[in-house]
Amino acid sequence: MRTSARKLVALGAVLPLGLALVACSGGSDGGSGGGGGGGGGAEGDNTLTVWAWDPAFNIYALEEAEKVYQQENPDFTLDIQEVPWEDVQTRLTTLAQSQQTGELPDIFLMQNNAFQKNVLNYPDLFSDLEGSDVDFSEFPESVVAYSTVDDVHYGVPFDNGTAVTALRTDVLEQAGYTVDDFTDITWDEFITLGEDVLAKTGQPLLSGQAGSADLPVMMLQSAGASLFDEEGNPTIVDNEALTAAIDTYQRLVESGVLVEVNTWDEYINTLVNSTVAATVNGVWILGSIQSAEDQAGKWAITNVPSLDGVDGATNYTANGGSSWAISSNADVELAQDFLATTFAGSSEFYDTILPGAGALANWIPASESDVYSEPQEFFGGDAIYSKVVGYAEEVPSNNTGAYYYEGRDAVSVAITNIMNGTDPEAALAEAQSTVEFAMGG
Amino acid sequence: MARPTATARRPVPEDAPVTGTVAAPLPPRPKLSRLERRKSLTGWAFLLPASLLILWLSFWPMIQAAILSLQTGRGTRLSFAEPLWSNYQRLLEDETFRLTLQNTFIYLVIQVPLMLIMALVLANLLNNPNLRFKSMWRTAIFLPSAVGLVSYALVFRTMFANDGLVNDLLVGVGILDSPVNWLGQTGTARFVLVLGLLWRWTGYNMIFYLAALQTIDRSTIEAAKIDGASSAKAFWYVTVPQLKPMILLTAIMSTNGTLQLFDESYALTAGGPANTSMTISHYLYQVSFRNSPNFGYASAISYVILIIVAALAVVQLKVGDKRD
Repeated sequence: MRTSARKLVALGAVLPLGLALVACSGGSDGGSGGGGGGGGGAEGDNTLTVWAWDPAFNIYALEEAEKVYQQENPDFTLDIQEVPWEDVQTRLTTLAQSQQTGELPDIFLMQNNAFQKNVLNYPDLFSDLEGSDVDFSEFPESVVAYSTVDDVHYGVPFDNGTAVTALRTDVLEQAGYTVDDFTDITWDEFITLGEDVLAKTGQPLLSGQAGSADLPVMMLQSAGASLFDEEGNPTIVDNEALTAAIDTYQRLVESGVLVEVNTWDEYINTLVNSTVAATVNGVWILGSIQSAEDQAGKWAITNVPSLDGVDGATNYTANGGSSWAISSNADVELAQDFLATTFAGSSEFYDTILPGAGALANWIPASESDVYSEPQEFFGGDAIYSKVVGYAEEVPSNNTGAYYYEGRDAVSVAITNIMNGTDPEAALAEAQSTVEFAMGG
Repeated sequence: MARPTATARRPVPEDAPVTGTVAAPLPPRPKLSRLERRKSLTGWAFLLPASLLILWLSFWPMIQAAILSLQTGRGTRLSFAEPLWSNYQRLLEDETFRLTLQNTFIYLVIQVPLMLIMALVLANLLNNPNLRFKSMWRTAIFLPSAVGLVSYALVFRTMFANDGLVNDLLVGVGILDSPVNWLGQTGTARFVLVLGLLWRWTGYNMIFYLAALQTIDRSTIEAAKIDGASSAKAFWYVTVPQLKPMILLTAIMSTNGTLQLFDESYALTAGGPANTSMTISHYLYQVSFRNSPNFGYASAISYVILIIVAALAVVQLKVGDKRD
């Protein structure tokens, strides 16, 4: 009797403890669900939950979009959650893999380069934009292509990744050149000019992260070529444009016209500290350039050099950019209407965020507004924004596909090896087999 | 000259351990009395909740991962592989996996012994009763362990940049003629990573040794000194054997930690140049979250890490645990 009573007491003391612990961990799951997602729960209450990552840029744009949309819908609110891009990707993958799509926000921002990969692997994460009021013909074709899978639209393009060449006019002047000498040129001409500038001023024109495929991939896209063909097969070997791009990159480094650094911070420093006299990158790089206030009036922009001897070579390309996606857990009607009225339909909105955050529209009608043609003092009084929107329409499309990151990383490795003396053909063949291997299993 | 005679020494039986009590041989196991049985049951009841939690939160996911490692497919479209072990077979042909495995072993072989020896020496120095400002030294050496992994990795990255502090110092003092591209070359990138690990973890292991040193009876060391042993000999023949269980523990923990190394590879060198400083765990992350997600294959990679960790732990236990 007594023994079993004691046993019961002991069990009675221990079991609630165990249960409490179990309940705790279970409870925290539910708790984070309520805080983190809540898209589905918010249906009908005029609130949209959004994930975005940059308070000075895309989150600022969201806040302005909220104000614009509230003019028509006074009850409308946005619940903006700051989530870094790497974490957005990790969260999406984890939620999709564990089938917890109820934790998704209504809208999330996605890097253009990752869009195809996510739609192809996890269609359950997305709601498409067919039947919405978004007119995709009002965006450049190459930008819409990132978020279009099998002719179905999944994203509203947001920030503009059109590439520009930004140049220091004061340095060029010392060497006896102007921005016009760098407009509509080829990379061969660019290297010749760069060698001359280096000899006369001691300053290299370009800088870049060693082992980064950014610049070669931009060159590739400028000729309308990609790392993958229409069917998504890797085209790293026997790719005339890629070979030319890597060869150009190698000559840029060997001639000293491009200095390699190891990290992104160092790259930005070379611009801000006047180590280099130019850069070729997405237009968003102008934000970093403008942080050096002492260089005001000394910068100018023009289009990018084209590849020599490659069919379809142009002076236009892109790097980066992002688009808004509506999740499968969203109040789809409200989310579509919000995006269609703001990011795809309000000049007033784009007029606010351009001076406020330097956020350049992909939405073509926005460029007709006066704000876009205002001269920019930092860039010597040039109306750079309408110029860039003009470039954007010329950018050739790039097939990204589901294995874009594999392709890009493999090419980065190949470039590093080529720079260290490996035969380009062998290095690219290895890159091709790396990607094919990754696609295999 | 009066030499100490043999009888002056305290005779020590051959097989007696230096410290600790001699365990009495166990009597044949008696039948448990009711009281003892009740006590034993209470003990098990207290173990139960923790065991259940470990089973549920640790072992159950491990079983799921094992099942997952036999599946292939992208995203959520997973199906059992044909043949079942094809993910493991695939590993043998994966050049990147081979490279990251090799990198991880280089870190393991160089960093772990170096770190443990340094920690041991530092702990011994700081255990000196005559040392002044003892707690200041201890704090200073332990402090790096309180720093977040990613933050210290970023600081190291900045310090070893081409125009960073280290190059400026070395060129300024005249040791180097021109800046070294630390993170841009395989050898130096691995060196910086190992250096970072040493800085971050040596103090952590030192604390374990310091704690163990407190339990060593000083009279054993004094006895050795009186017998004419030098400091080095006393350290090697008297102190180290008594620290053996702790050395074993730290060796297993460090091996385990190094094989799962992620933050430094991700934040400090970003795996570069050309993946030559990337660790297995970093590759595992790439396969799962950066590349087109392949969780079946990623689970197979994680199982290889588990098998290696387990195998090395068994070897270390066998080598380290030579009970007489």
